[in-house]
Amino acid sequence: MARLDIQRLSKVFPPPQKGADPVTAIGEITLEVEGNVFVSIVGPSGCGKSTLLNILSGVETPTSGTVSVTEGGRPARLGYVFQDARLLPWRTVIDNMLYVRDDDGALASDTAARYLEMVGLEHTHQMFPGQLSGGMQQRVGIARAFSVDPDLLLMDEPFSHLDAITARSLRDHLQQLWTATRKTVLFVTHDVVEAVQLSDRIIVLAPGGRIFDDIAIDLDHPRRAADPKVATLQAEILGRFEEMYPSNVSGLTPGDVST
Amino acid sequence: MTAAPLVLGKGPGTPGRVRRILTSSQGAQVTAIVVFIGAWQLLTLVATRVPGPVEVTQFLYTEITGGSHGGIVTGQFAEHFAVTLRHFSIGLFIGFTAGLLAGVLVGSFVIARALLNDTVLVLLAMPAFVWAFLTTMWFGIDWRAPVLTVAFAAFPFVAVNVAQGVRSITPELKNMSSAFGVSRWKQFKHLTVAAVTGYIFAGLRFAIIVGWNGILLSEWFSGQSGVGFRTRYWFDANRYRGFVGWVIVFIVFIVVLDRMVLNRLQARAFRWRDPVEVKAELSNPDFDQVGA
Repeated sequence: MARLDIQRLSKVFPPPQKGADPVTAIGEITLEVEGNVFVSIVGPSGCGKSTLLNILSGVETPTSGTVSVTEGGRPARLGYVFQDARLLPWRTVIDNMLYVRDDDGALASDTAARYLEMVGLEHTHQMFPGQLSGGMQQRVGIARAFSVDPDLLLMDEPFSHLDAITARSLRDHLQQLWTATRKTVLFVTHDVVEAVQLSDRIIVLAPGGRIFDDIAIDLDHPRRAADPKVATLQAEILGRFEEMYPSNVSGLTPGDVST
Repeated sequence: MTAAPLVLGKGPGTPGRVRRILTSSQGAQVTAIVVFIGAWQLLTLVATRVPGPVEVTQFLYTEITGGSHGGIVTGQFAEHFAVTLRHFSIGLFIGFTAGLLAGVLVGSFVIARALLNDTVLVLLAMPAFVWAFLTTMWFGIDWRAPVLTVAFAAFPFVAVNVAQGVRSITPELKNMSSAFGVSRWKQFKHLTVAAVTGYIFAGLRFAIIVGWNGILLSEWFSGQSGVGFRTRYWFDANRYRGFVGWVIVFIVFIVVLDRMVLNRLQARAFRWRDPVEVKAELSNPDFDQVGA
């Protein structure tokens, strides 16, 4: 069972220009995630959501604090879904799937093919990314992340570049995959409605990279956006945001969080 | 079960099929060649110093098989062609290697780009005949002149394309590879080399065409053997059929090489970029895509 342990983590970037102040992306975060749960991190742009994922994946180094991602005492294997698909354009779909795997034998090919089938792309093995739509490319990105059998799956606003209909379809694909695999997921989004539909737990970040709220969502998976229970909970949480943000967080208004 | 109606002019071997062949792009290409040869033959009727296609063909046959033509010993085709190919291969190897190195540096490092980018662009704008003049001035009648002409002419085209290929590897793809823990060797093989391969072919293709033009001029000025030397030999001997014959050999070689090999290699290397167009290009290679 994957365990994520973040203790007093901060990240400060150097000033963007001479004379400017350093940019605090993450103030000081302490967070623990354990088990096969789907956790969303919600917050307005610039509150350090993507930076947090980059630190977890090793792309960025923290300014202070510690991060530990383990599975049964060993370092956890990570999967990553980015805002854009980030496929190698000169490799076919199946080769992109195999690129991120340690092995590339028959077993790897079978696994890759199985995940492509789960996202409805079994006919695209020999196609190049340039031949696919944006939504299909992102589905390959999701299948790729699941296919490495990650202990922790990091997802950085994977549907933010897609139109509403495609995004809804991909959310359904993601729920099916997650229900089938029950991976530990850390899902970054600025869309509260999306977070409520997908998550077991929602961490709300405020500007300056501080944890503002930690909300448990106790509903069965998979969830439909039109389900009255989901809709009621979404309305309740959005109402909480509208009440809390202006009075508790300096400079943040309800409109900063997408609905 | 009903019998299909018989439609005249639509089946195989009928005038409809002939019409389709004649109006296809292959038919248009064959027509263009026939029209060109016909116009050339007509030109010989009014211009006495223009050798006709039959005369030139007869000359080339003699030049290849051996014998005497107008009292001048012929039959040295293979020898001269081999000399040119040798000069060309060595020059291309030097220019390609230097271009590859410079391209990787310019594409990878800001400092190298600041140092070399303008130089490469100046070399890119330099016509091949300038290198033919310069190398002849530097080395005289010597094998180094045609070799270095090819090298200088080829270098910037390889460098510019390779630099573009290196720059096509975005930080996002590198970050993705790091996030998934892809090994450095696998990144080099599937990210760096694969990204640059198509651009290398594009640069190589253009370098070959430009270098081939340069070697004709260089051998003309400074050669004692080779295609350029032989072309000038017949020009000086006032035998225009020889001059035209060798020019045709020179042109046909590069056109065939480009259509049969270079264009297809480049199309295959770039099939990820234009998969639909590549399919059409493979069936009908187009010369105007040389610099693509």
